[in-house]
Amino acid sequence: MIEIVKHSIRFVLFLLTQVYVFNHLEIGLGIQFMIYPMFIFFLPNTLNVFLLMTISFILGLSIDSLSNTYGLHASAAVLLAYGRPYLMKLFEPRDGYPPTTDLSIYTMGYVWYATVFGIFLAAHNFWFFLIEQFKWSEFWFMILKIILSAPLSLGMSILIQLLFFKKPSTR
Amino acid sequence: MRNLIAFFRRFRIFLYFALLQGIALSTYFTCLSYPRSQYLTTASAVSGQLLTYRNDVTKHFQLPYNNRKLQYENIQLRQRLPESFIKVQGAIFKIDDTLQRQQYEYIPAVVINSTVNKRNNYFTLSSGKSSGIYRGMGVFSNKGIVGIIHNVSDHYAVVKSVLTEDINIDVMVEKNGVFGLLKWNGKNPKIGTISSISNDLTLKKWSKIVTRGGSGIFPRGLPVGKIKSLKTVEGKPLWDVEIYYSEDYRKIQNVYVIKNLILHEQKELEKKIPSDEETE
Repeated sequence: MIEIVKHSIRFVLFLLTQVYVFNHLEIGLGIQFMIYPMFIFFLPNTLNVFLLMTISFILGLSIDSLSNTYGLHASAAVLLAYGRPYLMKLFEPRDGYPPTTDLSIYTMGYVWYATVFGIFLAAHNFWFFLIEQFKWSEFWFMILKIILSAPLSLGMSILIQLLFFKKPSTR
Repeated sequence: MRNLIAFFRRFRIFLYFALLQGIALSTYFTCLSYPRSQYLTTASAVSGQLLTYRNDVTKHFQLPYNNRKLQYENIQLRQRLPESFIKVQGAIFKIDDTLQRQQYEYIPAVVINSTVNKRNNYFTLSSGKSSGIYRGMGVFSNKGIVGIIHNVSDHYAVVKSVLTEDINIDVMVEKNGVFGLLKWNGKNPKIGTISSISNDLTLKKWSKIVTRGGSGIFPRGLPVGKIKSLKTVEGKPLWDVEIYYSEDYRKIQNVYVIKNLILHEQKELEKKIPSDEETE
């Protein structure tokens, strides 16, 4: 129950920060900060895939309706939700995931987080910019956007965790 | 039949994924060219309200710039008032003449949401159908053109800005009337491009670009920008023209929507042009 409340609050917070703050950070070269993949990434591991995809779809559509992208974010978010179980299985630690906690930098370590969330973001950005450009003549510009945007979003997500996520108490 | 059910059971995750992707992508590609409804855009009531709250805070950041702009425009208009003129000849006075008729009306609006870093950027205005704004009207500010209305609801409107790929506004060089179509390459919000100008026409750097007014959306002569660089397109007899926009779209707030009062006349006339198939 408490998990549902926690993730609902996060849903709203990630939606509002993405739309109100990060969509308006303009540093040129077509760089866009993508923060909402974090929400999909932090959903509980045991969640049903159908529910995961539905929640992601709703999140994506809400972002679309507030930033005039007409379904682009929804498409990318559903792709993430579809790919997440496979990715998690691929990078599962030897003794499994810790139950019920977030897969944050504190519980999983920087290296694991940067690798897995990095792949997650790269896939998201690739899909998002591919559909947005939809032109092979602008392919290298798209690659440049991905190369610049994904690491910046990754850095931002680590920063957000350092600032706002509670460090789980170690024994 | 059993096989079919087994197939669906086996691939149900992928099928659900494909369904959601299908919905998302089909809305994206249909709305890009023609939005069927204003839901899922910032023209909808809820999104519009949320963005208004945001704008109530952020509008103050660009206040000095926008105030200066409005003041400058006020001065220009004030100079045209009768009080600003001195009478040189007592016998002549102006009467209401019938030779001229109003063609364009302007509706003021405020930009409450805008982005410049996407491939296609849309601005949201705080006025809609209730103020007389409809799809297809032009939008400009006193420093340059902004875009074309893409979608309206009762109290909000979404503008397809000049920072979109296929905005295709017809513009011309002010001095010699050479014209082309305005486009944007998605890289820099200060720089636009003009396509389809043949390279045997002479163009000069820094010459002013204005609207041509061909499609009746914009009046002739609204400022667009200045030519930044000229290159020839490889393998085609065309200029690749880059222009600096005269308006800074990162700071824009106060805009005007253009209502062409006799647009239907032009449309009706142009409908009578026989299409290419019939003439051949």
